[in-house]
Amino acid sequence: MEEEDQQKILDLVKELVHRLLSQNPSSKAPNSNPNHNPNAPDFQNALRYAIRILSSRLTPSIAPDAAAIAESIKRRLATQGKSSQALTFADLFNKFALKTGPGSINNKWAVLYLLKIISEDRKTANNGPNSVALLPNLALNDPDLKNDSRVLHNLTRGDRGWDNGVLLVAKDPENLREIAFKEYVNLVREENEVSEEVLVRDVLYACQGIDGKYVKFDANVDGYALLDTVKVPRATRLIVRKLCELGWLFRKVKGYISESMDRFPAEDVGTVGQAFCAALQDELSEYYKLLAVLEAQAMNPIPLVSETASSGNYLSLRRLSVWFAEPMVKMRLMAVLVDKCRVLRGGAMAGAIHLHAQHGDPLVHEFMRSLLQRVCSPLFEMVRSWVLEGELEDIFAEFFVVGQPVKAESLWREGYRLHAGMLPSFISQSLAQRILRTGKSINFLRVCCDDRGWADTATEAATAAGTTTRRGSLGYGETDALETLVVEAAKRIDKHLLDVMYTRFKFKEHCLAIKQYLLLGQGDFVQYLMDIVGPELSEPANTISSFKLAGLLESAIRSSNAQYDDCDILDRLRVKMMPHGTGDRGWDVFSLEYDARVPLDTVFTESVMGRYLRIFNFLWKLRRVEHVLIGAWKMMKPNCITSRSFTKLQGAVKLQLLSTLRRCQVLWNEMNHFVTNLQYYIMFEVLEVSWSNFSNEMEVAKDLDDLLAAHEQYLHSIVEKSLLGERSQPLYKSLFVLFDLILRFRSHADRLYEGIHELQARTMASSLPSQDKNKSRRQTSDKSSEPGSWISDGRKALTQRAGEFLRNMGQELDAIAKEYTTLLEGFLSQLPVQQHVDLKFLLFRLDFTKFYSQVNPIK
Amino acid sequence: MDPDAAKTTRESLDLAFRISNIMDTGLDRQVLSVLIALCDFGLNPEALAAVVKELTRECSSSLPTPSALSSVP
Repeated sequence: MEEEDQQKILDLVKELVHRLLSQNPSSKAPNSNPNHNPNAPDFQNALRYAIRILSSRLTPSIAPDAAAIAESIKRRLATQGKSSQALTFADLFNKFALKTGPGSINNKWAVLYLLKIISEDRKTANNGPNSVALLPNLALNDPDLKNDSRVLHNLTRGDRGWDNGVLLVAKDPENLREIAFKEYVNLVREENEVSEEVLVRDVLYACQGIDGKYVKFDANVDGYALLDTVKVPRATRLIVRKLCELGWLFRKVKGYISESMDRFPAEDVGTVGQAFCAALQDELSEYYKLLAVLEAQAMNPIPLVSETASSGNYLSLRRLSVWFAEPMVKMRLMAVLVDKCRVLRGGAMAGAIHLHAQHGDPLVHEFMRSLLQRVCSPLFEMVRSWVLEGELEDIFAEFFVVGQPVKAESLWREGYRLHAGMLPSFISQSLAQRILRTGKSINFLRVCCDDRGWADTATEAATAAGTTTRRGSLGYGETDALETLVVEAAKRIDKHLLDVMYTRFKFKEHCLAIKQYLLLGQGDFVQYLMDIVGPELSEPANTISSFKLAGLLESAIRSSNAQYDDCDILDRLRVKMMPHGTGDRGWDVFSLEYDARVPLDTVFTESVMGRYLRIFNFLWKLRRVEHVLIGAWKMMKPNCITSRSFTKLQGAVKLQLLSTLRRCQVLWNEMNHFVTNLQYYIMFEVLEVSWSNFSNEMEVAKDLDDLLAAHEQYLHSIVEKSLLGERSQPLYKSLFVLFDLILRFRSHADRLYEGIHELQARTMASSLPSQDKNKSRRQTSDKSSEPGSWISDGRKALTQRAGEFLRNMGQELDAIAKEYTTLLEGFLSQLPVQQHVDLKFLLFRLDFTKFYSQVNPIK
Repeated sequence: MDPDAAKTTRESLDLAFRISNIMDTGLDRQVLSVLIALCDFGLNPEALAAVVKELTRECSSSLPTPSALSSVP
């Protein structure tokens, strides 16, 4: 076939030459008879020449693209102003191109190209020989140009260089361009000792932390850099350094991961740290994938249209920098996080990472979110198990709830607390408090109340919140879900706890019982107690036996309404003798105590009971004074002293007697007024009001913390208002002095009335008949120490004695009265000055008629 | 040669001739057909064009001597 083709080609060439030669218009032969004489020397020469030309240029210098050539032809026609012809040409070309199959032209592009060149050649030939040396389409004086369009004219004038859109390198006969290119290539090769492919490969190694042939880790610069010995242009060096930043970051991250993994067995790194390492490793494996793809691509050349043209490899340093843009961002983020979290653990680590996640860039945001989801999953797990089951699974001390072993009674207050350092920043303080309280409640229920009902509430809470009680149902980014879960759980558990406290442990009843007994609310019981126990307590403290007192307490309970109370409550009531010194009387050391067991002793702790004790002491003293005064009144009842018996006395003595009696009664009245009002103030303004406030609080209390706070408030207000607080010390002291004075008064009044009764008895005795006199003598002989003095002296002596006695008593009463008045005034003047507690009700009661403020105007 | 192929050939040649007229190449039918045949064989169109150019130039001007011919590369 080859031979045939060659022969055919030769024949065709001969034919061509012949025809071209015979086209000669200036043919010398007038009879233009195309002499097909193959032996003519012209013909032979021409043929030889043609063959030489044909064999010298075997490859075309342009791409065999028919459409492009057609386009350029069209454009040329259009710019020459032959737009109609251009349209026709387009039409023809379309038809031409559609012709396929046997018999059609295969190399259409060749035909078109040929025609194009021929037409150009004609044009240049027409335009003159001086355009031969130039590129043919740079002809300036083109007669085809129409003059009606100036723009087109200018356009075509200057821009003929790119007219056809096709670079005809082969057109310049002297090959200037090629020479220039060859020189450039040599220069570049000289400058670059190392080719770009090798550098690209080295950079890819560096980005995995491995030293390449030319790019190594330089400790001085702390980065990957090209060795100085390698000769490359500075631009290349810079770009390599920039790309190797990725390698440096990678090294840092990998270093952290391997360090952490080494520390795993030592249990130094917590679960959160482990999760963090795992997440980082996943990211790194993604990165490895990218690098693998790039390495595979690195060796492939870029596919080009022309078969023989060669290009560089697909991956150049610049392409690498484009590819590395995104991994660089991610790696930078990871390196920053690694730095931050090197020393942190647990919740603090999660919080620090969260702070970095507050970023506007969506890429960063997405990346951080997925990272955080994994890092926080152990934390969320811990929260879930704590909130729903009360379990604290925290081996590495990463959770923000810390437990410590304490006794059952302080479990609530001190058993668990928040560790602020481990609290991540996306969990707010109030949420953390709730979490703490919920878990605490579950533990409290389990340990102190032996209650198992909370397990149901946990599942209820979970379903209400839309999650389940399984592991791993919550993640980062679902802080709302967590909050809902916690809130639901907290609500239910708190309610359950309060239910248990109220119904099973009868909290309210116990509080009421304490009020009745320790705060002397049960009046009849207190009265009986005081009646019975009173004589006992007047003895010195160390002679009193507490068993006897306990027995007396029992009888007091039984004889009052207290016997109808719950026996569980009555069991807890006991007598307590406080530690006493030598001079103390029973009154000073006696107190009652209430035994609150687990779990109520969470509320009624030692210190709380101590405060109750103080209040009890005060109230007891007050009661005692009241009791004393009542006793005095019993004695002072007027019908005990009939004036009839005093008719025999002299007028002066009688007057004295009356006045003394009167003074005594007035003083008694004053004291009674004071004590009663004080008592009522304490009872109504202080105790009852506080109690009703506390009851209201108990109704609305939502959890045990609220209850504790309400109880605290209740006690505090009682202590403050009854002048037992720190700031009321001076008032308290003056009050006690007043009480002592009242007690002294009582003893004086006792003596006075004793004396008067004796006098009465004497005067009765002297007026009685002798039998009675004897009887009464015998009676009186037991009483008085001087049996003979009264009677033997006769009426005069009697009067004298009586007068003396009365005078003494009168004086003493006066003294007491004066002292009393001063003290009371002092007390009352101090009352309005007290700013910290509202004593105006007390003042109002005591000074109702403004008596005292008139007597002594308060400045 | 079947009639379809012949028809296609004729039509292609016709189109090519019209195109060459538009482009003002100054080729006639016969020369064009020869050139097309040569292109189909895979000869370089640039070379063919050069041949055409040279030979027409030769003919348009007075016949040059063979020595002048050899000076052209």
